[in-house]
Amino acid sequence: MKMIVSHPEKCVACHLCEGACSFRHEGLFMPARTRIWVFDLVDEQVYGAYACFHCSDAPCLAHCPTHAISRRADTGQVYVQEERCIGCKMCMVACPFGVMGFHGDKKVAQNCDLCEGEPQCVKVCVYGALEFAEVEPMPWAERLAAMERGA
Amino acid sequence: MPYGWVGQVLRIDLSAGKVVKEPLNMPWARQFIGGRGLGTKYLYEEIDPRCDPLGPENKVIFATGPLTGTYAPTGGRYMVLCKSPLTDAIACSNSGGYWGPELKFAGYDMVILEGRAPRPVYIWIYNDQVEIRDASHVWGKTTAETEDILRGETDPQARVAGIGPAGENLCRNACVINDKSRAAGRSGVGAAMGAKNVKAIVVRGTGAVAVADPLRFSELVMESLQVVNQSPVTAHALRGLGTASTVGFANGVGILPTRNFQQGQFEAANDISGQAIAKSVLVRNKGCYSCPIGCARVTEIKGPARWQGKGEGPEYETIFGLGSDCGVGDLNAVLYANYLCNLYGLDTISAGGTIAAAMELAEKGYIPKEDLAELPFELKFGNPEAVIGCLEMMAYRRGRFGHLLAEGGYRLAEHYGHPELFMGVKKQDFAAYDPRGAKGMGLGYATSNRGACHLRGYSMTLEWFAPPNQRLDPFSTQGKAAAQKMLQDKAACEDSSGICTFVTFALTPDKVCALFNAATGENLTLEDWNLAGERIWNLERMFNLRAGLGRKDDTLPPRMLKEPLSGGMVQGQVVELESMLEEYYRIRGWDEEGRPKQETLARLGLS
Repeated sequence: MKMIVSHPEKCVACHLCEGACSFRHEGLFMPARTRIWVFDLVDEQVYGAYACFHCSDAPCLAHCPTHAISRRADTGQVYVQEERCIGCKMCMVACPFGVMGFHGDKKVAQNCDLCEGEPQCVKVCVYGALEFAEVEPMPWAERLAAMERGA
Repeated sequence: MPYGWVGQVLRIDLSAGKVVKEPLNMPWARQFIGGRGLGTKYLYEEIDPRCDPLGPENKVIFATGPLTGTYAPTGGRYMVLCKSPLTDAIACSNSGGYWGPELKFAGYDMVILEGRAPRPVYIWIYNDQVEIRDASHVWGKTTAETEDILRGETDPQARVAGIGPAGENLCRNACVINDKSRAAGRSGVGAAMGAKNVKAIVVRGTGAVAVADPLRFSELVMESLQVVNQSPVTAHALRGLGTASTVGFANGVGILPTRNFQQGQFEAANDISGQAIAKSVLVRNKGCYSCPIGCARVTEIKGPARWQGKGEGPEYETIFGLGSDCGVGDLNAVLYANYLCNLYGLDTISAGGTIAAAMELAEKGYIPKEDLAELPFELKFGNPEAVIGCLEMMAYRRGRFGHLLAEGGYRLAEHYGHPELFMGVKKQDFAAYDPRGAKGMGLGYATSNRGACHLRGYSMTLEWFAPPNQRLDPFSTQGKAAAQKMLQDKAACEDSSGICTFVTFALTPDKVCALFNAATGENLTLEDWNLAGERIWNLERMFNLRAGLGRKDDTLPPRMLKEPLSGGMVQGQVVELESMLEEYYRIRGWDEEGRPKQETLARLGLS
């Protein structure tokens, strides 16, 4: 499936992607509502932007008590059905990557929805740190291990 | 809530311990844009420009612009304004990082600090909750320690802007540091904050910035990103090597100020260049909020070096200030001194300029032997231990000489009877371009409202960096007055809007004006926009005139006027200031004393 692929080594922690994300979804510049997160641990010389990985065994989906999270058959993406979400945040606890967000007004969970195939974060990232690319979803534990190896 | 601006000002009366939220003065915002312009308007209306800059009657304003917090390219700036403890003129120092946008997300365009806290405090802003908190446990700590401690006791995601020991000790070269490495550097704004007993402003905001015309705004931003990404200056030079990319050029033509501006070329320039940084200390590149340029360098001194540390830097101006101007060509030493400045909260330009002046005074024998005997190092050009030692003495006011250093280069040189050896204007040190090799820069330094500054009218862009067919002859005085006026007005509205000067190397004023319009819903023509810049410039000038400054202060040190440079392309040049200055006053619509004429003020809506 096509998803947001991060190249943290190219990231400069400018947060342009967060602005583009909240602007697209909320019409506002509001990092508190973003669906992509820049981790800017400048002291540790570590930074990068991350959005939902749509894990093949998505723990958010598995742990949702109201079955509000499912996978689209056509695109393969993991998504939240707002009308079924009760805002319990179980998915946020379950996500090992901290990339499930929460809409403070609607009181529902929200993850990267790929902007209907035209991700705005990728569009504004002049550094090439974000890419909209074809990759197969991975089991979360495998991805976590890969990320830890990389770090 | 208005668009662009968030429409609210946080006013903190430190003497009374009172916090008031008030609506932003929208008519002023429309006239003065935001940040630098709007902050100046508030200061102009609210304080007596003749006041003691370190007294409770001065105010310190943290101001954002209407584009701050949006995804307009480089829309992440904030400015610190006050009456300057260094120059006694208007101070407005501009910084990037993440602090400015966070303040807007918390719901404020500006924070105004008034009065004086009876004991050290910090301000904790979490959206609409604002507290004045005790800061006795962080008083005396470095900026980095302070940020870690205050984030620990407030919110790990909070952003911190504050002072180090230099600001606490009222060092006139003290700056405000945010996000550990970004500086609102110039004019001693850190000392003004220290005088108020405010250690830091800690902010966490979860709100939003809205724009008036989202569709138009996003179109403009996408276009602008393209432009920035294709410009040789922004996408290649600055992104590739940072501001230090300038070292090779400046040294080559002979305007890299060396040993207190005695020379324009430094034999060790290659050791402290952008390339040298990339080869030895660079860890990775970094950008401020919403920045598509990414000129910052995350660095670390590696290996068995004598000095150790990590952080951000060095910028070009720092390489000059703590490097060539002090005759120091050891990159690790320059970088270590840079880290110290960040930790102590010192402006690297003015700290370097002060030390360079001290070195020349010492070498010329103007500092009595008994004064030098106090120092644990030899005060001479090329000695990195002297630079590092002076920084500590300056920040902590150690000993009698430390007290003199903390007063800044002008007061130091004056104390020893040789003010002519201070290299700056209005008591503020020059930046890293010798004006003898860029005459417009000389006029810019002389007339800058905040004392010597390269960014107020960045004529380097026209005199050296522009494509050859658009370039003004750097050695001629022809057309420099008009160019300076244009550049000064241009920078005034760009700064005020909340974007970074560097993005304007790629974006033309009409683009910036269009971004402003789409964000705020205003409908300024390019002419209105330029007029706003001129209005801001003239208001700053009015502040300075009321503070007692005037034509006598629009000058350059005798070295720039009489001592020709030697070496490089600039061999034999001096600045012919007088003729440019007269023309400049005329073009500005000012009288012979440099006072805006009645009709000028009327035209700008300032009468």
